Amino acid sequence: MTIRKWIEQIEGEASVQFEFEKNHVSFATIAFPHTRGMEAILQSKPAMDALVITPRVCGICGHSHLFSAVRAIESVYANCGAPVEISQKAESIRELTLTLELIQNHLKWLYLVIYPELSHMLQEKIADSCRLKGAYAASLATKILAIFAGQWPHSSYMIPGGVTCDPTHVDIIRAEGLLDELIRWFEKELIGITLDEYVCYSSKKTFLTVTGDMKKIENMLKRTKMHEQGFSYDRYLAMGEHEFSKPSKLVNRRMAKVHSKFVTLEEAYSIDEKTYAKNALYHDDYFETGPLARTMIEGVPFIKQMYKNYRDSTYTRVMARSYEAALLLEHSKKLLQSIKLNEPSYIQPLKKIATLSGEGIGIVEAPRGSLIHSVILKNGIIDQYKLITPTQWNLSCGSPEIPGPAQKAMIGSDSIETATFTFRSFDVCSVCTTH
Amino acid sequence: MKSRPKLLWLQGVTCNGNTHSFLNYPHLSYILETFEFLYHPILPATYTLEKIASCTQSCDILIFEGAYDPRMMRAGSRMETLVQHYGSTANTIIAVGSCASFGGMFKQSDPEYITGVGFDREIAKGPFAKSNKLINLSGCPIHPEWLGYTLRMIADNKVILIDEMHRPKELYAYLAHHGCTRNEYFEWKVDAEHFGTKEGCLFYKQGCRGPMTHASCNKILWNDVSSKTRIGSPCFGCTEPDFPRTNMFETKTNMSIPQDVPLGISKRSYLTLTGIAKSFRIPRLEKRLIDDNT
Repeated sequence: MTIRKWIEQIEGEASVQFEFEKNHVSFATIAFPHTRGMEAILQSKPAMDALVITPRVCGICGHSHLFSAVRAIESVYANCGAPVEISQKAESIRELTLTLELIQNHLKWLYLVIYPELSHMLQEKIADSCRLKGAYAASLATKILAIFAGQWPHSSYMIPGGVTCDPTHVDIIRAEGLLDELIRWFEKELIGITLDEYVCYSSKKTFLTVTGDMKKIENMLKRTKMHEQGFSYDRYLAMGEHEFSKPSKLVNRRMAKVHSKFVTLEEAYSIDEKTYAKNALYHDDYFETGPLARTMIEGVPFIKQMYKNYRDSTYTRVMARSYEAALLLEHSKKLLQSIKLNEPSYIQPLKKIATLSGEGIGIVEAPRGSLIHSVILKNGIIDQYKLITPTQWNLSCGSPEIPGPAQKAMIGSDSIETATFTFRSFDVCSVCTTH
Repeated sequence: MKSRPKLLWLQGVTCNGNTHSFLNYPHLSYILETFEFLYHPILPATYTLEKIASCTQSCDILIFEGAYDPRMMRAGSRMETLVQHYGSTANTIIAVGSCASFGGMFKQSDPEYITGVGFDREIAKGPFAKSNKLINLSGCPIHPEWLGYTLRMIADNKVILIDEMHRPKELYAYLAHHGCTRNEYFEWKVDAEHFGTKEGCLFYKQGCRGPMTHASCNKILWNDVSSKTRIGSPCFGCTEPDFPRTNMFETKTNMSIPQDVPLGISKRSYLTLTGIAKSFRIPRLEKRLIDDNT
C-alpha cells in the first residue's frame, strides 16, 4: 500500500510517499517541491553581496549561512596567497553568535515541534503556553546574538577580516545578564537541576534526577518506543571546524579526518514527483550529520551512554539535539568571558576584494549539521556559488537498495505516525535543502 | 469564548525569515488569544496546510509571507487560486516582508513572473494591486513589533494610516537614520575609515542607506537591543522596493560625494552643506570614543 503524506512544520513542506507492507514501512520516497534558485541569484554579484544574500537562504539558520559565506570568501583570499588576518576577538564573537543560533534552533524545535508531536501521538494535551516557552527561550538567545550582530534573523555583520561590531564592556555585561537569564530558564523549565550538573552527566542512571520538561519529553519518547526504532547507518560526519566540533567522521567506532574533496552530490531518487533536492554523499556513502553526529564524534559521555543502550535510535537523536543545547549554553558562557575587547574587531584585508580571483570553500556546523559554501570569484565577482546544506545529507533520497539516512531510519516503523516522527527527529529544513 | 478574528498565514516564495522574526515577539500569547490562527507554519493552528489548500475555509485577516508566484503549488493547490480565495474573504491583507510587499530578494528567482502581492518593485501590480485592504510591512525580515502593532490596531478597530506604498505611516514615516548612534558623525561628515569601529558614519563609504530608507530600525530596536548601524553594519535599505541592490557594502560616489543623497534634500544643497561641514576639523570626532578599551 502506498500512502502519500505532506509533512509540514519543517521550514516548508516535504511530500513523503510511504510504502506500507505487513504493518511496517518498507520504503519512503522524499520530495521537496519548492526551490528559489539561490545559487543562480548569487551569480554575477559582487562577492560581498553574498553576505547579504546567503543569510536569506533560511529564516532559522541564516546566521550559519553568513558564517559559511565569510569563510568561503576568506578561503579565496588564502588560496590567492593573500590570507586574511582575523583577531581572536572576532573569532570568538563569530563563534558566539553561531552558537546562539544553534541554541535558538534546538529550543524552538523541542518545544514547537517535538513536544507537541509526542503529545499528539500519546493523545495528551499540551497548552499553547507550553509551546511558546520555546519561542521565549529562543528570543533570549537571539537578543544576545543581536547585541553583536545587530539583529536576528538576517544579519550581515561578519565580513572578510572580522566583524563590523565594536562592543564595549556595557555590551558584554548586557549579554552576560541575558545569558544568565536564559540559563536560569533552562534550569527551571527544562531540566530542574543546574546546568553544571547536567553537562557533567556521565551515565544514564543520573538522568533520574532531571525533572522539568526534559524528563517529560524523555518519558514520552520511551512511551512511544522511540528507543526501539529509527536506526540509521550509525555513520557520522561533522565537517565544520569550531571549538565545539572537530571536523571528523565516525564509522564503526573509528574516527578519521575529513576533506571536502570527497563530498559529492547526486540526483535524488524519485518515482513520479518532482524534487529539487540533491543528495549529499561523503566518499560515495550516506552519512548522518547534526547534533547526534557532533556529540558522538566529540565523545560526549551522556550521549555515548544513551547510544550504548539505544544506539542511533530516534530517542538518542532527539536527546542528542536537546543535550547539545545545554552544552552550547555552557560554551556560550565561556566564549563571552573570552572576548578580548582591546583587540581589533576588523583587520582590513591587504588585497582589494575587487581584484580577487580564485576558488574558496567555507564550512560551518549549522544547527542541523555540516553546511558547505563554495565559491569561484573572478575579479571580485561571483562566477559560481554552490551550497550544500545539512538536510541534504540527512534527507538524501536514495533508492530502495541504498536508502538515505532518514529513509533508512524510517524503514521498519510500525506506523506512518512514528515514521513521521523519526523524520522530524532529524530536524528537517525544507528551505535549506533545495535553496 | 467569543469568536475571534480568523487569521491565516500563507507563504509564497520564502525563506521563513518573517515567521522566525515574529517568533521573537514578546506578546505572542496575546496574539494567540486574540486571533484564531487557521494556519501558521510553526505556531499552533486549527488546520493543516493541506486542509487550507482545499479552499473550504474563510479568513478575516490574510498574512502573506514571501514573494508571489501565481504558478507555485502549495500542498497541491495553485498559489493563484489560494490567494484569490482567501484574499476575497479577508477584510485585511498584510504582506509581511519585502518579498511579499515588493518582490524583494526572491523576485530574482524568476523576475518575469514573481512579484509582491500588491506591488512589483514600486509599480502597483499583483493580485492585490491598488486594493484598499492591503497593508505592506516591508523589511527583510519584518520587525516583530511592526506586525504586532498592525495586528493590535486591527483587533482594537483603529485606523492604520498608510503611505503611497501601503506601509503604516507610524512605522515607515521614519528613516533608518533616525536614532542612529552615528548621527553626529553624519552631521559633520566624518567617515568611518573602515569597518569594526563604533566611530564614524557609514554613509560615505560603506554603503549605508539609512538616510533614504523608510524604517524605524533605530527607533524600535531589533531584538529589543540593537540595529545594523549601531553594530557597524550599513543599512542595506531592505524596507524599500529596490531591495536588494548590488554592491551593498559600498557607497557609489561622484567626485567623492555619495551619488544618492538623503531623502528629499536637493543635491546642490547637500553638496554645499557637505563642503561647509567638511571644512571644519573637529578633533573630538576624529579621535576614538574610548581610547583604551581593555
